Amino acid sequence: MKKAPILKGYTLFYLLFLYGPILLLPIFAFNDSKVVAFPLKGLTLNWFAEMAADQNLRTAAKNSLIIAFSVSSISTILGIFAARASVRYNFPGKAPIMGMIMLPLVLPEMIVAMALLVVLLSLGIQLSLFTVIVGQVLICTPFAVAILTSAFQSLDRSLEEASLDLGETAVSTFRLIVLPLVMPGIMASFLICFTISFDEFIIANFLGSGKPILSVYIFGQFRFPAKVPSMLALGTVLVLFSIILLGFAEYMRRRGIAKAGGKDSGGLL
Amino acid sequence: MAKSLGSEAKAGLKLISPTAIYVILLLAVPLATVLIYSVLTGGRGNVSLPITIENYAELWTKAQYGYIMLKSLLVALTVTFITVMLAYPVAYFVSFHVKPERKSLWLFLITIPFWTSYIIRVSLWFVILGYGGIVDSALASIGLPPLNVASYSLLSIVIVLAHAYAPFAVLPIFVSLEKVDRSLLEAGQDLGESRWITFLRVTLPLSMPGVIAAALIVFIPTVGDYVTPELVGDGKEPMIANVIEIQLLKLQNFPQGSAFAVASMLMVGIVSVLFVLWNKRYIGGQK
Amino acid sequence: MTTTDDRPTMIEFKDVHKYYGDYHALRGINGTIKAGEFFSLLGPSGCGKTTLLRTIAGFEDISSGVIMIDGKDMASVAANTRPTNMVFQSYAIFPHMSVEENVGFGLRKDPRSKDEKAAAVAEALGMVGLKGFGKRAAHALSGGQRQRVALARALILKPKVLLLDEPLSALDKKMREHMQVELIKLQRQVGITFILVTHDQEEALVMSDRIAVMFDGEIAQLADPETLYRRPATKKVADFIGTMNFIPATILSEAGDKVEIEAKGLGRVALDIAQAPTPAGEDPVVGLRPETLTLLYDDQKAPERETEGVIDEVIYFGDMTYYDVYLGGTDVEVRLSMRNVPGRPVLDVGTKVRVAWSPSALVLFR
Repeated sequence: MKKAPILKGYTLFYLLFLYGPILLLPIFAFNDSKVVAFPLKGLTLNWFAEMAADQNLRTAAKNSLIIAFSVSSISTILGIFAARASVRYNFPGKAPIMGMIMLPLVLPEMIVAMALLVVLLSLGIQLSLFTVIVGQVLICTPFAVAILTSAFQSLDRSLEEASLDLGETAVSTFRLIVLPLVMPGIMASFLICFTISFDEFIIANFLGSGKPILSVYIFGQFRFPAKVPSMLALGTVLVLFSIILLGFAEYMRRRGIAKAGGKDSGGLL
Repeated sequence: MAKSLGSEAKAGLKLISPTAIYVILLLAVPLATVLIYSVLTGGRGNVSLPITIENYAELWTKAQYGYIMLKSLLVALTVTFITVMLAYPVAYFVSFHVKPERKSLWLFLITIPFWTSYIIRVSLWFVILGYGGIVDSALASIGLPPLNVASYSLLSIVIVLAHAYAPFAVLPIFVSLEKVDRSLLEAGQDLGESRWITFLRVTLPLSMPGVIAAALIVFIPTVGDYVTPELVGDGKEPMIANVIEIQLLKLQNFPQGSAFAVASMLMVGIVSVLFVLWNKRYIGGQK
Repeated sequence: MTTTDDRPTMIEFKDVHKYYGDYHALRGINGTIKAGEFFSLLGPSGCGKTTLLRTIAGFEDISSGVIMIDGKDMASVAANTRPTNMVFQSYAIFPHMSVEENVGFGLRKDPRSKDEKAAAVAEALGMVGLKGFGKRAAHALSGGQRQRVALARALILKPKVLLLDEPLSALDKKMREHMQVELIKLQRQVGITFILVTHDQEEALVMSDRIAVMFDGEIAQLADPETLYRRPATKKVADFIGTMNFIPATILSEAGDKVEIEAKGLGRVALDIAQAPTPAGEDPVVGLRPETLTLLYDDQKAPERETEGVIDEVIYFGDMTYYDVYLGGTDVEVRLSMRNVPGRPVLDVGTKVRVAWSPSALVLFR
């Protein structure tokens, strides 16, 4: 490969800029100072302790986990239906329906949230964790569909025909052949949707009506300088958590391709 | 040939119905509702007939709406421009100067920030740029006066947004560059062109579909961003999303808020379409 | 050549049509396939042979007509209950299972005990020459091994008909020739009906008891290899199978069971009506296989008829030489083949030669 020192240097600098703020997180999370500024004062675990002791934070975290788990489950299931239908079958209205499902990718979240909110308010429906879940599923399903479409596409159709040929029914074929081979995609979809939901703010804020949810809680806390260090500690934990989940999702994706004997087309693209 | 639905079509529709119904009920219907509300009359938390275009007329007459839409547009365009310009060399590097087996690793590294909490990242910038924050204290430690970048709200907003959406821009450009037939480049050099000219005349035009996609991917969410203007701009420079919040949530003025939302989306749509058409000549060849 | 006429019918097609939307893929297929025969569907890409195979398997429905397997109408019978099993072109080996899990897949609902099933799997693997491969992972196999796993997996269920969709096209030449022989042996050993789809006419000729040659959704001719080769029913079949020289001809007279023609470059000849299979048409041509023409050396006497010629092109193949020869002072060029044996040196371009030919080897296409 040709060497390009300038480009490489630039790219590394770019990465540094990208990661910069994130790298600052652990630095100041361990910094023994209430003020988030240079010079550094020394190591401490106080902020982590404060974070862990915060009751509101724990409730918010618990709620976020419940929401994320629900959203990723529902989105993945809806994604399986849509991806399978889109890859295997041709039916009238396929393009508009798929377009509609993927629409949240190109609409600002605010619009999706507000439109849903207007309807909910007009119908007099109470805002709660449930309405947050409902809204976030709309945002996450396109990602699930994208990942699962890729998974279903790499599934050789003649494998299913072979299963039928050997005496299985459509249902048992799905169970014995399709599901195992698509499982890495299902896991990746679950993990990605979980990550998106857990970090999601707009819908959590506007459709949650003040219920404690982690992203909203963080948003609020940053206004109080005293609370900032413990939020940085939380941020450190969250970033680590995301990276682990992502790494795992990527690992699953690659393992899935290897298992089915295919070739890596590169990334969750 | 057959008028009625074949068995394949039926099976397909049956299979997609759960997702389709969910999306229609919870996305299509609400969006249609907003559209309808935008032409109705009403005030605090209610809507009623008659149908009117007064809400849209209001947007024309009251200067602040136009101002905010224009501001959001300019911020978004600036962010898009910066982000895409900065991202292109990175995409080029990974596509042309990284060994194939390492490419997905680099991409993975570039995309990770995207998956970490947006709130955390934006809040962090708030802390970095604020008065006495990280930038200021770093400056102070080498004897320079504080900048308090955060007080320059628009500038802060642009910086934060460019940072947040940077990974979005790299990927589409990368994909487009990957599709460029390397033998075209070699042919160009074989005919005596310099590397730079080959880039300008061959690589760049062929990668335009990716650049256009990157621009759209950054532009559309940026123009409708809520968190950054709210947190980093400290509410002093509201953009479209902040106004929508005020209209719909705080004032509960459904017709007005809906009209503003629809108008904003129309503007975004028109700008996007214009942008794509302006670059149409680049899209024909490669998909 | 085995006659299959006395064997019972296994598959019967009665006026089978298939449409994909407006596209008429199968246009009135009629024919029977006998039990225990090695049958091939042969034709160029897009002729409908794979479509026909898939309708037998049940993966495609037919628009009209009847398909009977072993006397039963398959109209309402789903693919997973038909007495057929298929070896797919991509082999369709389940990548997440081992070889023995693949081979034993169809036995899942079989009431036999685990040991009996394991024994059946081992037997099937032995039959295809993969003894001891049971524990191997499916994705770690070569192309040829995968194909044999696919065969074992299909045959273990003892179907009445084995369907093979271009099973050898993905293999390299040596492997292909080896597998051709293996498949013939296997079919004789197992004794069931094999139906093979291929576009390779050599393959079909080598392996089959009978062949259905298909063009554009129709069966052009259904016969055993020798008949197809020596008495092709249409010009298209003649051209598709092996190499065929075509010489323009004029029909002089027709009386009873004799047709008299003038073939350009050969002269007048009287043919039997059996040598003129096609109905009256436009430009008659006479077909002649390369090996039915012989170059006469020195003072050799022609066994039947002979004509003059000039060599235009010499193509040396080692064991054979192909000569392109202008016949009888005309611009008609034919290809003839000669075995390179002692006493028959390879001749040069431009040499004047005498070509021997036999009237009974001609086929007239009107």
